[in-house]
Parts: sequence; structure tokens; C-alpha cells
Amino acid sequence: MNTRLQAASRQVDGPLLRVTDLRTHFRTERGLVRSVDGVSFTLDRGKALGIVGESGSGKTVLSRSIMGLLPGRNTERSGSVVFEGEEIIGLSLKDRRKIWGKEMSMIFQDPMTSLNPVMRVGKQVSEGLRIHLGMDKDTARATALRLLQDVRIPEPEKRLDQYAFELSGGMRQRVMIALALACGPTVLFADEPTTALDVTVQAQILELIGEQRRDRNMSVILVTHDLGVVAGHTDEIAVMYGGKLVEKAPTRSLFANMKMPYTEALLRSIPNIEDPSHTRLNVIPGRPPDLVNPPKGCRFSPRCEYVQPKCINEEPPLIAAEHSDHVYACWYPVGSPVYRERRAQLDAEKRRAGHNQVGVA
Amino acid sequence: MSDIEVMLDENAPIIPIIDGAAPPKVRVRKRGRVTKWLAISWLVFITVSAIGAESLPYINHSCDQFDSDAECVTGTKANIRYSERPPAWAGFSDSPQKTEPARYGLMGTDKNGFDLFARSMLGARTSLIIAGLAITFGLAIGTFLGMIAGYFRGWVDVVIENLTNVLLSFPALLLAIFFVTFFNDPTTSAATTRPLWPVIVSLVILSIPPLTRLVRANTIAYAQRDFVVAARSLGAKGSRILFKEILPNIVPTLMSFALTGLALLIVAEGALAFLGLSVEAPTPTWGAMISFGTSALREGSWWISLMPAFMLFLTVLSINLLGDVLAQRFNTREAIS
Repeated sequence: MNTRLQAASRQVDGPLLRVTDLRTHFRTERGLVRSVDGVSFTLDRGKALGIVGESGSGKTVLSRSIMGLLPGRNTERSGSVVFEGEEIIGLSLKDRRKIWGKEMSMIFQDPMTSLNPVMRVGKQVSEGLRIHLGMDKDTARATALRLLQDVRIPEPEKRLDQYAFELSGGMRQRVMIALALACGPTVLFADEPTTALDVTVQAQILELIGEQRRDRNMSVILVTHDLGVVAGHTDEIAVMYGGKLVEKAPTRSLFANMKMPYTEALLRSIPNIEDPSHTRLNVIPGRPPDLVNPPKGCRFSPRCEYVQPKCINEEPPLIAAEHSDHVYACWYPVGSPVYRERRAQLDAEKRRAGHNQVGVA
Repeated sequence: MSDIEVMLDENAPIIPIIDGAAPPKVRVRKRGRVTKWLAISWLVFITVSAIGAESLPYINHSCDQFDSDAECVTGTKANIRYSERPPAWAGFSDSPQKTEPARYGLMGTDKNGFDLFARSMLGARTSLIIAGLAITFGLAIGTFLGMIAGYFRGWVDVVIENLTNVLLSFPALLLAIFFVTFFNDPTTSAATTRPLWPVIVSLVILSIPPLTRLVRANTIAYAQRDFVVAARSLGAKGSRILFKEILPNIVPTLMSFALTGLALLIVAEGALAFLGLSVEAPTPTWGAMISFGTSALREGSWWISLMPAFMLFLTVLSINLLGDVLAQRFNTREAIS
């Protein structure tokens, strides 16, 4: 409770988190891997931002870069992350540790591996409370119990003395959420929190994160590869491709009016339940770009259905759409004349291919 | 999985699992259960005998023939009239020129007429104390070095890694011989009993490099685990992560490896003693007893060397078997998920 009050009193005008031109490069034998290459965004208190992209698009590295959790060796990080009016890039390990847990915390993808297999659940939850908030053993245990109740774990009392392997996947992820929430963070990073879980449990976990966000007025950065996951649980969505932001918009306007062909392709690759069975899945051909040698122009150009010569040679800047909070990086966005022309062409080809297939069969 | 056979009792009623109800019993047959208990029994027997050698009834012990207690370091009764008697169960190898009794005790006697069984039990004490202490210190130091090398990496890692590589590149026994002779005070004559610590220190130095490498490799593997990153993301300090998150996870691996190490050190101590570099006679140790009997081998007195060698063999085998059991029991891969 105390920390949250302190955090509130430190609040200054402007966004809670402002990331400006953040770059994280890894030195490898193959060359410099530009995992995050100039990302900027802001996040207000209590809001949820979804970061969407395929594997290797840099979304996990982005969230870890913001927190400063990356290993120091062979990593180059530049740009600026201003949190509650304070620059946190370049802080010493000691100062970063003060932020971790109390101000920012993280939920990981796989609850099977993110809990210590040889430590009781109760101890894992109460450890942070004792270190950061200086609680004594009994208070910490009582608080841990409250937290487990908050995240809706059945029989929380019993769970305190169990080990992670005695819990189901969903319960473990709830424990992980309790751990992350323990010290009342202002920003919660959820790095693919539902990828390793059953679909039915996924919805519950997302619901829980959303509920805790509203209750605690904290901000959430939800990292995922699944547009469906972020659709109902975020205020804003940022789409990442090849280490860059390619589109960012309020959730509603992104889905209603997407500009970037990549976003469109992502959305179209979600299988539709109303399709007849054995419908071919829509896939994005090719692979994510090599982050050592990214394409010269638009990074999506080698895989884009609507690619034009300009896309291959010139990198599109992030520009605003009709609303200033909707930005995208594309020369020929969805809905533009060039796009429409190419779309019609593609549809015609597809129809022809469809007829041919029927003929052969 | 092939060594585990699941046998379902076909006659058992099918009990629906309701909350709290006991699930039907499944008998799981595991391989090596008998060997495990045999190994444990042998180790218990040896340990108890080593501790209570002076007072246990089945160990033939007497210091009556000595004037002072100080002389009684051998701990067993010597009777020169009974020298080089084969064990009671040995039907062959009767030497006609020897007077009665022709055979003596469970293991026979040596040249000085010492009961080999009693001496082996006392020898177990020396061997186990030396090897046990050496592996304990080796574990403590090796774990510490391995953990800081594996967690902090950088120059600490380079220094430790190179030191272990240098130590590992020497033949182990040669290194042990070098350290024992280096640590032993040359001014003490062979007549006075040499202290234990030079042997222990050499064996500790011998056991550190492999343990350091093992711990370092495990630490690196665990340091990249999600739960360690999670602990870091919650603001845990380096020392806390090392001792509370990583160490408990590598203890099972360490324990099974430590048993193998213990067995190796018992053998190493035996080798040192065989070369006359361990504790000085007359304090018995298995290696020295084996060495003492070698000259009699030519005359057909095989038991003098063979009996202590057999003890050494059984003990090392038991420890190794137990190490295997532990390694299976604490299969780290199973423990993680």
C-alpha cells in the first residue's frame, strides 16, 4: 500500500512511460542483430498497450529492454525510457533493482519454467514482499494469501505450502501473476502470458490481468503474437515487425481501419470459425527479416503482396493517419489507390487458381 | 522408461476419483531395489564398524600386549605366533610348516599376526575420514567457485576456468603425490605418525576442479531459466538468486556426483597409501594394508592384500551404486516441470 501511495505522489504530468527511439542491438559473431531498432511510444497510467508481432520481431526484447533486464555483455542499448518523469536507461543495477518488482514487473510466457521448482509457492510470493516492503514473516504470508485469493486460486491456504509442480498450468500462471503483483507495480509487462495455456484458461488469465489492472490502476504492456488476444484486452495496439513499430493505433480504430498490409495479413491469418472445414489457412509467405541484414526499404517488402518498387528502395517513415493517434509506416497503405488496384488483381488470380483446382480434381 | 514396469491389478475395482478419495493403487516395479538396499547395508555396516572398532564385539580387539595406550594405534591384537594364517574358510593354501592353528578368523592374519578383519575395520575409519572430509571441503569450495564463475561470468569466470583447466590437465595421482610431499614437513621422521591434513588437503585440491566445472555448467543453465529471470525482474539480489534460486536446484545433481567423488577419493587415498604417502604405519588404512601384503603374494599368502582390497572394492561399489540411485531419484529433468 505504502509504495503505491509514494508512486502516486511522485506522479508528474505527462505519460507514465515514454519510450523514445529505443534501440537494442546484440553483438554476435554474425554481426549486429538489431532486435529493437528505434521504437518510440508512450503509455498512460492505467492503460493497456498490446505489442503484436511474430516470433523474432523483437517484442520480447523490447519489453526486457524497457525494464533493463537484458544481460549486459554484448548488448548495446540506446535511446530513452522515461518512467514517471525519470530517465531509467543507464541506471545502475542497484537503482534498477529498486524499480524491478515495485514499479515494473513481468509475467513470463511459460508458467512451467518461470516458478522455482524447489521453492514453495508461498515462499516465492512472500519473498518479494519481505525484501521490498520489509514485511515480517507472518505479515508477508498473510499478504501472500490475500494475493493468491486476488488471483482466484482455489484453496489458497493449501497452495502456499505446495510446490509449483503440484499445480496446473493455469494455476501456476495465476501464481506468477500474484508474484508480479505482489509489490504493487505501476507497469506490468505480460510477455505472452497465455501462449503456453489452454484456450479456455487463456481467457480467464487475460480477464484476470484486465481486472487487476482496473483495480490497481496500473498500466499493462501485453506482448503477444495473437491479435485475438489483444483485441479485447487493450486500449492501444502496437504492431512490430523486424524490430520496428509499423503501426500503432487505439484498438478499435486499428481493427476498423488498419493501414499496414502486415497488420492486415496478421489478421487474415487468424482462422475463422465460420469457414468450412479443410479451408486452407491464410499464411504470410516467407520468413521474418534477418535482423543482421534487414532489407533496405520497408522491412516487410519481401513478403508483402502489394509490394511496389518504392517499397524495396525507400524505408517508409511512421506517419499519422486521419487521427493523430493512429500512426503507420507504409507507402501504399490499405485503402490507397495502388493497394486497391493490386488487391483486385490478386483476387482475380485467386479465383482463377480456384477454378483450375476444381478442374483438375 | 524401459526400466519401469507398471503393473495394474486387474482385479482391483475401478474406483471413480472423487475429491479426497484415494486413487487405486498402482504397483510400480523398479529395477535395482535389492542392490540399493545391499549397498546401503554395506555402507551402514562399514560406517558403524569404523566408528566403533574398539568396542564392537565382532571385532577382535585388544591392546593387552602393549605397554602404553600410545602404542595401541594399530588397535588390534598382534600375535606373532599366528602370523600369515589364511582365513578360516580357505580350505586350500594350507602351509604344512606352520604350527596350529592353521587358519584364523574371517580374513586371516598378516605378517605381524594382526587380525586382518579387525584391521580392515580400523582401516575403514582412516579411509572414510580422509575421503569424507576431502569431499566435503571439495564440495564447499567447488560449489562456491563454480557458482560465482557461472553466474557472474566475465573475468572471474576466465580466472576460475583457466585454473581448473590447469589442474585438470595434470594426471590426478601425480598431482596428489606432488601436493602430499609438498605439504608434508620433511623434518618429521617416518617413525612419528604423520598428520592427516596433508593427505586431505591434496585430495581436496584434486576434487575441486571437476566439481567447479559441474557446478559452473549447472549454474549457467539455471541462470538463464525463466524463474531466475523472474526473480531478477522482481528485484532479487545476486547473492539471493545464487543461494536461494540456483543452489537448491543443483543440490540433487551435486549429491549424486559427490558420492561418485567420494568413491574416487577413497580409491585415490588407497593409491597414495599404497605408495606410502598417506598416513604412516602402523595406523591402518586400506591402501597401506594392500601394499603391506604385496611382498607376501609371492609366497602364496594372497589374503593379506586381497582382503583389504575386497573391502575397498565393496565400499566403492556400494557408494557408486548409491550414487546411481540418487542420480535417478533426483532426475533433474523430471524435477523441473
